[in-house]
Amino acid sequence: MLKIECPWCGPRHETEFRYGGEAHRVRPEKPDSLTDEAWAAFLFMRTNTKGAFAERWCHVNGCRRWFNVLRHTVSHEILAVYAMGEVPPVPGARKEGGQ
Amino acid sequence: MAKYENWLSPVAALAPSFPQGLEALPFCAQVNLRGNPGDPEFMSRVKGELGFALPTVPNTVAGRKKCRALWLGPDEWLIVEEGDARFRDAPEGALAAQLEQALEGLHHAVTDVSANRIRLELSGPEVRTVLMKSCELDCHPAVFRPGQVAQTLLAKAQVILEKPAEDRVHLYVRNSFALYVAEWLVDAFRYSGE
Repeated sequence: MLKIECPWCGPRHETEFRYGGEAHRVRPEKPDSLTDEAWAAFLFMRTNTKGAFAERWCHVNGCRRWFNVLRHTVSHEILAVYAMGEVPPVPGARKEGGQ
Repeated sequence: MAKYENWLSPVAALAPSFPQGLEALPFCAQVNLRGNPGDPEFMSRVKGELGFALPTVPNTVAGRKKCRALWLGPDEWLIVEEGDARFRDAPEGALAAQLEQALEGLHHAVTDVSANRIRLELSGPEVRTVLMKSCELDCHPAVFRPGQVAQTLLAKAQVILEKPAEDRVHLYVRNSFALYVAEWLVDAFRYSGE
């Protein structure tokens, strides 16, 4: 069980949260002009990072707010919690808008 | 919104057999209020209507005994008004209507949710034990203090816990979960001493 630090409510158990998948994915500006492959890549393909991974979480059973978490995918250690729209605060992690 | 006299609490049949420390609270006015706490005009108009400022510290309660604002999110509050006097004498949904009127022209949302949740009161020395076996929230008196509110899961049901005083907790639970949660609590109180 993860203990996640909600930016508003403080540390709560994982059961109160809902996982939102990989963070910082940017929707293509003109989906119509994409090839099927490029659109499928946006829709379905995710990085499979071993190490620090930026992901979205929502405190669905608490304050119902979304935020980003930087989690180590091997140790499950939570390296940082930061607001939506912010860049990951730890060097080496993928930057905003990266694919 | 319906009139209170026509309402029946989902725990009405079970309430007479509640153990000591568990009590069903009477219906009250509940209004979900959303708005921008960074907008001084919004905050001052709400203060003018309610008589106290909305809490901006997460998970805290502001107000007086009769009317309180519970922090639900950075831009969301639950306004609770005790007693149905204001309802019996005034048009239905008076609190919501007055807030709506006070905030006219501002970016906001006022929703009457009086029929959404019922309230149970947990009191006495067993409260913390009962909560500890029912939910994963840190219920230590140093962490969950009087004047605070917490939204969490209790026996897997979404609840709002308001702590007006040490050894007393008001539990807000959705109608459809109320009987299940009440039965759980009856059980939890029964075995809390063991």
